Parts: sequence; C-alpha cells; structure tokens
Amino acid sequence: MAAALPKFVGPEGPYDVIIVGSGAGGGMSAYELTRRGLKVLMLEAGRNYDPRVESPMFNTNAEAPLRGVGTPDKPFGFYDATVDGGWEVPNEPYTVAPGSEPFIWWRPRMLGGRTNHWGRIALRFGPLDFKPYSRDGLGYDWPITYDEVAPWYDKTEKLIGVSGAAAARNLLNTPDSPPGCLMESAPPRAFEIFYERAFRKMGIPVIPMHGAVVTGQMEGRNTCVFATPCGRGCAIGANFQSTTVLLPPAMATGNLAIRTDALVYQIDMDKAGKAKGVSFVDRKTGEHHSVTAKSVVLAAGSGETARILLNTKTAAFPNGLCNTHGMVGRYLMDSVGTGVTGQFPSMEGLPPTNDDGQGTQHTYIPWWGYEKQKELGFARGYHIEIGGGRHMPSMGMAGLLDKGDTSVGDELRAKLRNRFGSTIGFDGRGEMIPNDDCYCEIDPGAKDKWGIPVLRFHWKWGEHETNQAAHAVKTFLAVIDMLGGKPQGKVETEGHKAISKGGEMIHEIGTARMGHSDKDSVVDQYGRSWAVPNLFIMDGATMVSSPDKNPTLSILALAWRSADNMATLAKQGAI
Amino acid sequence: MSDPTPEPYVSKIDRRTALAWIGVVGAATAVGAGVVVYGPKTGGERVTRGYGTDPNLTKPEKAPWGRIMIDAQLQTAAILADFILPATATAPSASTLGVPDFIDEWVSAPYPDQIKDRSVIMNGLNALSAHVLKADAAGRTAAMTALQTSKDEATHKFFRRFRSLTVGAYYTTDAGFKDIGYIGNVPRTSDPGPSAEVKAVLDREFAKLGL
Repeated sequence: MAAALPKFVGPEGPYDVIIVGSGAGGGMSAYELTRRGLKVLMLEAGRNYDPRVESPMFNTNAEAPLRGVGTPDKPFGFYDATVDGGWEVPNEPYTVAPGSEPFIWWRPRMLGGRTNHWGRIALRFGPLDFKPYSRDGLGYDWPITYDEVAPWYDKTEKLIGVSGAAAARNLLNTPDSPPGCLMESAPPRAFEIFYERAFRKMGIPVIPMHGAVVTGQMEGRNTCVFATPCGRGCAIGANFQSTTVLLPPAMATGNLAIRTDALVYQIDMDKAGKAKGVSFVDRKTGEHHSVTAKSVVLAAGSGETARILLNTKTAAFPNGLCNTHGMVGRYLMDSVGTGVTGQFPSMEGLPPTNDDGQGTQHTYIPWWGYEKQKELGFARGYHIEIGGGRHMPSMGMAGLLDKGDTSVGDELRAKLRNRFGSTIGFDGRGEMIPNDDCYCEIDPGAKDKWGIPVLRFHWKWGEHETNQAAHAVKTFLAVIDMLGGKPQGKVETEGHKAISKGGEMIHEIGTARMGHSDKDSVVDQYGRSWAVPNLFIMDGATMVSSPDKNPTLSILALAWRSADNMATLAKQGAI
Repeated sequence: MSDPTPEPYVSKIDRRTALAWIGVVGAATAVGAGVVVYGPKTGGERVTRGYGTDPNLTKPEKAPWGRIMIDAQLQTAAILADFILPATATAPSASTLGVPDFIDEWVSAPYPDQIKDRSVIMNGLNALSAHVLKADAAGRTAAMTALQTSKDEATHKFFRRFRSLTVGAYYTTDAGFKDIGYIGNVPRTSDPGPSAEVKAVLDREFAKLGL
C-alpha cells in the first residue's frame, strides 16, 4: 500500500533537533522534545504508516492469501503489521561473518518502527538488572540505578497505558509498579488458570503480565476490545504504538516535522567537531539529501544506529564517529529464547469459550531462581511467557492430531473439535551476558542498493546462556508432565540446540552503551555522546546489559529521561 | 464417506481472475457454468510473483500468482477433500468451501514452503486421479481408504500433507469456526474470563491430576 500522506509533513526548518527513527526511542524523544518547545525533524527510513486505517483487526485468515501463513514477504504472517521488512529488507542486506553462529536481524520500514508489531510485554528492569557486575562479577554495571529510572517507568506506564495492576508482591528484582501506574489485566483464561496450578505446586509465583494495552478507562484512549492480535496493529489505538500514542501529540504541538522514506546513513560534522546534521537517501527516488539542525538524536534501532556511527568517518574519527576506543558495535546482546509446546488431555473438550483476551498474556512467571544461581550453573535468569487457548484457527490446525493419525470424516472432526485449544506453549525469555564474540561492524565489501556499506554481525552464545536454555526446557517438560500433558514435536534438551538464533528474539541492544566515561562507553547516562556534544543516542543501543525483561518499556523510559535532560540542556544553551 | 455420485467440482474463482493469473486473454477457457479450465499449454507466461512486502492488509487482494492445477487435478482434489471432510448435518463439505481452489493457490505459490509441497501434492493427485475420476463409488472409496493405510512413503506423505492443507483451509473459514467452536473475533466491552462451567471442568481435572 502506498503512503497516503506526503513524505514531508509538519513545520519547515530551521530545526533544533533531528531525530533519526520513529519507534520507541525516536517516538518518545520526539514526544518530550516537542512538548518542551524544541523544533524537531524526524527522519524515518520506512514509509508513512497509519494504524487507524491499515490495521486488519478483524480480518479472518480465509481472506488472506495462503490463509495468512508466513512467507518470505511477510515472515510473521500476512496480517503482521510489519511493512517492507522482516528478517530481510528489500535492497538492504546485512551479512554474518564466516565462522559466526547464526544471527538474524528484524527490521521494518514504516513509521513507528517495531512498536507497530511488538509483543506489548512491558516489564520493568529491576534493581539487580542495573548492577549485574556488582551482583556476580559478570558483565557490566550501568551508570544508573533502578531508583533513578523508577520515576520514568512510572511516567511511561501512565502515558502509554499498561495493564497488570496487582497488590505489591515484593518479589526479588521484579518491581511492583506504584498504585496508579497500571490498569487491571483481564482475568486469567482457562489455560492460564490451568498452568498456574503446576507452578504453584513448584513454589513458583504466577503474576499478572504487564502489557502495553489499555484494559480500563484511560483519558484520551480507547479501551481494548479483547478480540484481535495486537501484532496486526490497533486501529483504535488501545495498545501502545508510537504511531498512535506518541507521534500524534508530538505533531499537535506544531513542533514536529516528519520525513518518511529517509534512510539516514551519516552524521554530517562541522569543523568544530559538532554535528551539523545528517545525510539520507530517499528510498523511493534514490536521491541524496542533507538536512541540518542544532543537534542530532539517533534512535534508529541498535543495529542501524551503530551503522550510522560507523559509516561516519572523519579525520578525527577514522574508524567511525564516537569510535575512538572501538566501542561502537560492541556488547551486542539479544534475549535468550527457547520454547516447548505441550498438549493436554485435561484441556480437551472444554465448553466453547472466548480466549481472544487482551493481546498480551494475562499472566506470566517472573524469574524465580535469583538465590540459587550457583547451583543452577548459569548466572542469570529467564521469565516464562505462556500462550494457549482457543484462538482463531490457522493453517496449523492439523498439528493438533497425533503423529500417526490418519482419521477422516466424523472421527477427524471430533478429534479436532476436542483438541482445539488444548495446547499450551511455554517460552523462556532470558538474560544474556555481553561477550567479546558478539558485535557488529561494517562489512568490508557489501553495500546496499544505494552504495552504503552494510553491517556484518558476529555472534556466539556463552555457556551461561546455553545452560539457561537447557534449564528452561527441563522446567517446561516438568510442568507439562505435572499437568498430564505431552510435549509436541521434537524437543531439544541440549542448550546449544534449544537456544534461539542471535537476534531472533528481536531484542538486539547494546551497540553504543552508556557508562561513566569515554573509556568504557559511547554515551553518558543520558545518551549524550562523549565524543560529540550535540549528538545523542536514545534507543536500545545505549543499554549496558540485557535483562530477561523485554526491552521496549526500558527504551521508552530511558528515552524520556534522556530527552528531558536534553531539553533542559538546550534551554540552558549547554548543547 | 464421500458422496457416491459427486457433482463435478466447480471452481470458486471467477474467469477474469483466472485470466489475470495466466497473463493473456484467451489463455483459459470457460467451460459451462463457472468452470474454468486452464493449463500449461494455453500460451502466455504464468504470473509467478508473490504479494510483496507491503500488501493491502485490510482488503487483501487475491493471491496474484497463476494457478497450475488442471481440471483433472482439481476434480481429484475435490473428491479427496470431501473424503477427508464430507458434509455433515450441520457443516458443509470441504469442496463447498472451495478447498480445492485453495490447494491450487497453495501449490502454485512462489514461496519456498509451498514449492516444497508442490511436487508432493501434484504427484499424489496425478496418481490418485486414475483411481477416482472414472471409478464407481466403491472404487473411489477403496482408492482413498488405501491412502490412509498405505505403507508407501510418498503416498503416506501425500495423504498427510493433503489432509493437513484441507484441515487448515477448512477450519479457517467461518463455517470451520462454527464447526470447531471458535467464538472469538468479536469486539467486547470487557473480557469476563472463563465461565463457571469451564472452571468446574478444570476443577475436576485438577482433582484427577492431584493439583
């Protein structure tokens, strides 16, 4: 679908700030900077996208080609919101170094970036997550504490709309949000009531998921209709997307201009060593443009942000901007992913019930083994995301049948009817400790369609991660057994086979991390680069560790904190 | 069990669409009421493009690639699909819901997973067609029942895969939703959670499991 709006909307320059990217980091920084009176030009590599008119909320699979199954054109299924992207983006390759373990990189090309299709799991990092080195001597500490970020989590939850309110539990490293931050989740569905019993017996708490979905009354927002998958986009803006929650109020200030199809490839520098703007290529016309502003915010996503820095080479920075100490592209991390699905006779033949729910899981299992890490054989933990229920049938329906089953007719119908909704998938999402083998750099030869050098990734999981994956599989098998079920399909019990590919969890972060000085980091705690005083980074690139909690809420909270600081500096004339 | 005297399968696609797939007017011929026959020798290049990385999601267009199944294959697919999911007192048959056309859409698609299925399904249908198209009811039933118990690996694979595609295609329709008991995809003002009846079933199961 072609963009309906002109490529350039909003006020003309001169601009105070150029923001590269429109997702969680870019959207939130635009929200704050425009509210504070700064004139902002946002550059988005993808096309304009409007979830209000483009979300196929109630479409059925029968209306879609191939009944909506994933294809190389739409890897997460026909109805996934992602535009012009997925594991491959046309004309924009990346490479993986010879000898590396697999790495895959999910990119969309659309306004709002990955906030349009994300899982809406909005968990806070906890106090231990900001000081992992202090806890166990592995990885690195952040230059900030949970207490410093907590007020920004509060504000972010109240702004974007998050469900999961519950009485305070005081679980270790699993922060309770203060009263007033969260809305109540919808009640647990049948499969959630079912699995809770097994974890309860194991002494493991099951608590409400924090999901970026408006489940109650919230001023200025519509309430969820408890019907359709959030990953298709939300035409009524009941879940969080940058395009429905952050960009409209930023536009309403009159201070935000947006230019789409603008693939930024370098920071333009002046003679004094400050950023004077950026250069981009129009993805549709191939024309190159340069735009100027008093300062620049990179929020293009960890990979693209690193690529822009590394492709900006000057006499002072021959190896890439801000890369004096070789830190850019380093400490690349993802989440540890692994999963097992079980089929449960106890869930067979339940009376028909509507399990569509609120888009996110209604409950989940936070990591419970903080005090047993030494005996477990891995240093960090994972939370468990659990899916099940009687969801809209898909092409996978025959997977409900036993392997050797060849039934037809009434017998087949009865089996399918009986087993519909009787499977439950258990997925671990765990912390990865940064290591020297995981990083990105500029490929020495490969270029994109416009001649811009592309990223080359290096990846190798550490033993802490593979041991964690093995533990997760063992846990899932134990739970499935306790619930009288059987695992479906081939189950890998060895960690290095059970673990996801690098990048597969789409939580790649940490290529321009924050720290105490330019010796250990690329930016300060507010995302301001040590090397270029008017260059800021406000996406996942600045993250120092990769806790099990999905990163989007933290990207939003940190971007808000950084943008607040930047606006203050700008008003003081201190940039 | 299949209808002892099945009517010829009438494709659920329209002639104009079929012509677009093949790329040139006149490459397909309409036979009778809506039955479209199209094949490899009708001239023109079959359209082989996918739907691209930015298709219209709210009003999906018909899959743009041309179809490769000839009428004998479609008719065979219809007979086998209705053997797998015949009509019941409350649910339509697979062919009524256009499942054979979907199988055609699937095996004709230019994507890796579907290309992998193409030879499995096409070879299977070709082998089966001789045993069902001109056979009597008993012969048809015998041929298809033999698929269920065949020890031949290729035959077994064909049957499993064809059945899987049929089941997927069938239950993703509104009629399939009704048959299997899917009652979602409707806007609600709140999610009340499972009913007392569902909870009671779970309680009985917990007792059995000792949980």
